[in-house]
Amino acid sequence: MTARTRSFNEVLLSVENISLSFGGVKALSDISFDIAKGEIRAIIGPNGAGKSSMLNCINGFYHPQEGAITYKGVRRSQMRPHEAAEQGIARTFQNIALFRGMSTLDNIMTGRNLRMKTGLFWQALHVGPAAREEIEHRQAVEKIIDFLEIQHIRKVPVGQLPYGLQKRVELGRALAAQPELLLLDEPMAGMNIEEKQDMCRFVLDVNDEFGTTICLIEHDMGVVMDISDRVVVLDYGKKIGDGVPDEIKNNQAVIDAYLGVSH
Amino acid sequence: MGFFLEVLIGGLLAGVLYSLVALGFVLIFKASGVFNFAQGAMVLTAALALVRTLDIAQKEWHWPFWLALVAGFLFAAFVMAIIAWASERLVLRKLVNQEGIILFMATIGMTFFIEGLAQTVFGADVYPLNIGLPKEPIFILESVFDGGILVNELDIWAAVIAGLLVAGLALFFQRTRIGRALRAVADDHAAAQSVGIPLNQIWFIVWLVAGLVALAAGAVWGSKLGVQFSLTLLALKALPVLILGGFTSVPGAIIGGLIIGAGEKLAEVFLGPMMGGGIEIWFAYVLALLFLLVRPQGLFGERIIERV
Repeated sequence: MTARTRSFNEVLLSVENISLSFGGVKALSDISFDIAKGEIRAIIGPNGAGKSSMLNCINGFYHPQEGAITYKGVRRSQMRPHEAAEQGIARTFQNIALFRGMSTLDNIMTGRNLRMKTGLFWQALHVGPAAREEIEHRQAVEKIIDFLEIQHIRKVPVGQLPYGLQKRVELGRALAAQPELLLLDEPMAGMNIEEKQDMCRFVLDVNDEFGTTICLIEHDMGVVMDISDRVVVLDYGKKIGDGVPDEIKNNQAVIDAYLGVSH
Repeated sequence: MGFFLEVLIGGLLAGVLYSLVALGFVLIFKASGVFNFAQGAMVLTAALALVRTLDIAQKEWHWPFWLALVAGFLFAAFVMAIIAWASERLVLRKLVNQEGIILFMATIGMTFFIEGLAQTVFGADVYPLNIGLPKEPIFILESVFDGGILVNELDIWAAVIAGLLVAGLALFFQRTRIGRALRAVADDHAAAQSVGIPLNQIWFIVWLVAGLVALAAGAVWGSKLGVQFSLTLLALKALPVLILGGFTSVPGAIIGGLIIGAGEKLAEVFLGPMMGGGIEIWFAYVLALLFLLVRPQGLFGERIIERV
């Protein structure tokens, strides 16, 4: 499979001169890049390069000291995680963050949280609008379950599922919010070949069928080069490369970073 | 046999009342991982707000009983909402992501504050509370046993109230969006935020629900014992119930309460005479201690599995 060449013109999100430090440690310094609407954008880099920190900035878990992020034309320097979710940004985590005591179905239902609107009063009574709404959203969730081929584990508490399936449930929860921008933090880490192929297929399908913009962090270079439209490379909190997969493969700075040339 | 059943039933009914207090602890612990020491103080405050409104509305404003009762419950619920809002705003929000023990210490501080404030505002006397629950002892199963079994009607009503409350809560937690959000927050804060659940709002709701449970407990215990400072000590009685049932389980709080209530009464009546009596006071704690040795997570608690 060769890299896909597609062109995009509308910018969905742009990161401008972001710097983030924890005490004296600089996690990110002066990073700028953009994510186009509809593309699959990868962020790669060696361990500790600041990839997850970057996602955490976009999704509002971290607040960078400098720089700003423009999302859908609105520029902002700080945003809280639930506000990011309200704006259509959903994510998965590097170390799976599922609600372990809850079933697959309930986990994915929490993804619908923002789309359900009945108030505390009706909720407490569980009649009328609240009950109707519950059924409506249940249907949407069942579609996602079918899409991810996890019908057989609908009622199983996710804490009992194998790792690969947990990753899939987490993707399901993010999809349930019908996000415009989906952030995936190492969606294929720790998976075997077969599970990786499945996951690749899901990521590509989500992108094709729903038009969801995807920004993913991944260590498997084969996967990254196959599925992404453009790649950003970070190393020690700095951006050392940005472009289509073929450019990145031949970028000397990137090759050095991965092979470990002394800085 | 009749006597044994009488003691057993009396114990079980008393146990339901312990469950009612334990339930408030479980709700808050589940959703925020905080052991809320102030639950006992909340029971006292709710009961005081209820009894004082009832008194004033009846004696000074000459409202009919039922209207005063509704007003009393509404006002007490309102007071619990203020406490929930203030605890989230002024205490919990400042302590997000701190160690559990720090939050626990904070709730001890809140306990003294709430107790003091409630008694300053509502007075520190013993107030008899009458919310219309019958208090007459009645005899049941007279055809089966000679002389029947003596039970307290108030206890039966209390058990019915507790049962309805638990069923309602279970439905709320299992079947609704907000219930699911509460469980989600209990499981993983970061993940909950990422799907758009605002933590602050959820904490307020949890403390409010715990406050309403405290109101139910305060109303029932207040009818039984009179509204007085010793209601706060119920918090200590709830501890063995929690250890038995598990800190994170609503059904656990119920079963734990039943076991403690029944165990206490049976031990007092049948073991007591051998040991000189008075064992009801400490029996629950010893039972809890033995239980800790065998099953530290409680009957229904989540198993503690740690990677080392």
